[in-house]
Amino acid sequence: MPQDADIYEYREAIAPSLAFSTALHAALVACVLFVPAMMGHHGSDWGNNGSGGDGAMSATLVSGIPLPPNPHASKESVLATESKGLSESLPAPIAKPDEKAIAIPDRDAKTKKQTAREKAEEAAREAAHEKDIQKLRAALAKNALAKNRPVPADNSIPYGQGAPAAGPFTTFQTGNTTGGMSFGEGGGGSFGSRFGWYTDVVARKVHDAWQNEVNPGVSTARRVYILFDISRSGSPSHVKVEQSSGVPSLDQAAVRAIQRIDTFGPLPQGYNGNYVSVEFWFDYRR
Amino acid sequence: MKRMTVVGALLLAGLLSTTLPAAAQDWIRTGTGVGGEKIRIAVPEFRVVRNDPTATPLDKTFNDVLFSDLQQAGIFDLVSRSFYPVEPVGYPNEANLDHWGAPPVKASMLAFGNLGVSNGAMQVQGWLFDVKSPQAPQVLAKQYRETATDDNARLIAHRFANEIIFRLGGGINGIAESKIYYISNRSGHKEVWAMDYDGAGQHPVTHLGSIALSPRVSPDNTKIAFASYAKGGPNVSIYSLELGRMLNFPVMGGTTVSPAWSSDGAKLAFSSSRSGDSEIYVTDANGGHLQRLTSVHGPDVSPVWNPKTNAQIAWVSGRTGLPQIYIMDSDGSNIQRLTDQGYAVSPSWSPNGQYLAFAWIRHYGAGAPGHSDIYLMDVASRKWIQLTHDGGRNDSPSWSPDGRHIVYQSTRGGQEQIWTMLADGSEHVQLTFSGSNTQPNWSWK
Repeated sequence: MPQDADIYEYREAIAPSLAFSTALHAALVACVLFVPAMMGHHGSDWGNNGSGGDGAMSATLVSGIPLPPNPHASKESVLATESKGLSESLPAPIAKPDEKAIAIPDRDAKTKKQTAREKAEEAAREAAHEKDIQKLRAALAKNALAKNRPVPADNSIPYGQGAPAAGPFTTFQTGNTTGGMSFGEGGGGSFGSRFGWYTDVVARKVHDAWQNEVNPGVSTARRVYILFDISRSGSPSHVKVEQSSGVPSLDQAAVRAIQRIDTFGPLPQGYNGNYVSVEFWFDYRR
Repeated sequence: MKRMTVVGALLLAGLLSTTLPAAAQDWIRTGTGVGGEKIRIAVPEFRVVRNDPTATPLDKTFNDVLFSDLQQAGIFDLVSRSFYPVEPVGYPNEANLDHWGAPPVKASMLAFGNLGVSNGAMQVQGWLFDVKSPQAPQVLAKQYRETATDDNARLIAHRFANEIIFRLGGGINGIAESKIYYISNRSGHKEVWAMDYDGAGQHPVTHLGSIALSPRVSPDNTKIAFASYAKGGPNVSIYSLELGRMLNFPVMGGTTVSPAWSSDGAKLAFSSSRSGDSEIYVTDANGGHLQRLTSVHGPDVSPVWNPKTNAQIAWVSGRTGLPQIYIMDSDGSNIQRLTDQGYAVSPSWSPNGQYLAFAWIRHYGAGAPGHSDIYLMDVASRKWIQLTHDGGRNDSPSWSPDGRHIVYQSTRGGQEQIWTMLADGSEHVQLTFSGSNTQPNWSWK
């Protein structure tokens, strides 16, 4: 058999297989590229609130459930300080001229002219100053040791800047909103002080029922006053806006917070009236 | 021209779908807020009076149950007993409120009382005092008298805890006396079982030797409706807890499963394939006045009524493929789809009608890490949150009557067991430990 015939025969045999193989690989690559792109589409990101990914709305719905959310940080007022020494400042040390420094003629002209008497006076002054500092330091140390008092925490409220001792009976804060209330009962008006636990219950229920439906464009609003009655059985009625905030959506959110509540629980057994009226206010600040 | 309109419409749709959710985002509340702190309550051990030797173990049961009831109520911060003053408190004149209100106790409420046994009868007196108003501290005073048994000590503790929760929780009844019904295979067959809400007193209710599924107790706690294979194909069966036997319920034919009571106990909704395709039906509680609500091809199962109004029904439908949660009015009109991705089943409507709890595999299918978890959706706004995370397969949520708790089944411990949690997804407690226990249903009161 001639040699060249061998070569031609070989070439003819490989061509179809090569073409087939190339086509197959191309198809495979196409599959790898396009199939995930087609499968990867999951429709619109419904429920994600436009945030993408798995981010659900956040845990805020929970406070809408009649469950109190996480306990909040302590806000107790603390006396600024009980120790005089701790707030007394040390006198500033007098800067001593560096002994090694080379004197600059013009600048040290005055110093050069110092007489011996003046020098002695200055030394005495410095000594007295040093003594003062020593004394103060000793007093401070003694004070701190004697009372064994730690340094006041940073969160102390400076003297005179604390909140007033008497405010509304109960307040709460949720998100951007602060609420408070006062009770009236026709006469006397001692409901809030007599049944503090019940006012706490009312505040907690309103807090749980509050949902922020305030127009997001509103950054701040005047205080809105809501007036309603709580009947003997505990159900709220006659909910009305006593004084508008000027922002309709805030007024409405406040009214709805009360209307969402079926009952606050029966009025206290020791209370004889048929109902109490409650004035609830909401502050909104974004 | 036509092609251009189509392209324009597509572009517009794409634009809307990207911009609308972004605009809606501003309306979402952020921050859970502070100020809703839990009520700090101290519960010293009830003092034993009248020195009967049987009183001490009863007192221990009583104290343990009362403490755990209040702890699980979800509204209290119980002060640890190690902080309490040493002197025992059995009567109001022994309660020195200054001690209880001052650090380290710093309680705002104090529950105390005494327990005595005489002539086989146990008497418990309990008080609830507002520590912050020493002039008129009494909020509650109760007296109980029962035969001196351990079960009754437990019962009285539940009742006193319920009174406290009712007063301080804003008029919502406590759940200490409620029951949980579920399916267990501990006897070798899948039967309906019952237990207290805290997992105590687990016992079988039915003895049919067949397969029971999805028990639902009636609102008056007298009957249990469930799906049973006792008479051949699965049919809705009703068991009377008062009579201790099965009641008659007409055989609907086909596969009839997942019964649900309306909150007035007058109606029963269920799913039946009597027409060939499984659809939602409503009947009277005795099976009369059969009415078909759905008519679209595809499985429709697991109906549940809005307990607040009985005017709406949520259910699971596979009409578009994978099962999704839908709601409709109770006459079958006004159908709306709530979920539109993944695999959503087992809806349960909260007692106040505001939320739906359900099991959802949000990313379902090959290559998706599909975990079945419990989710909560606000029906009005369609906002949802996830309550369980990375803990096996969680399914079959059911609301407690106070709307503060959810019971569900989970495989996080290996086998399917019953767990409870607070409705904000915290405080998970395992109730069952042996056999396979599924499909819990919390009683209505």
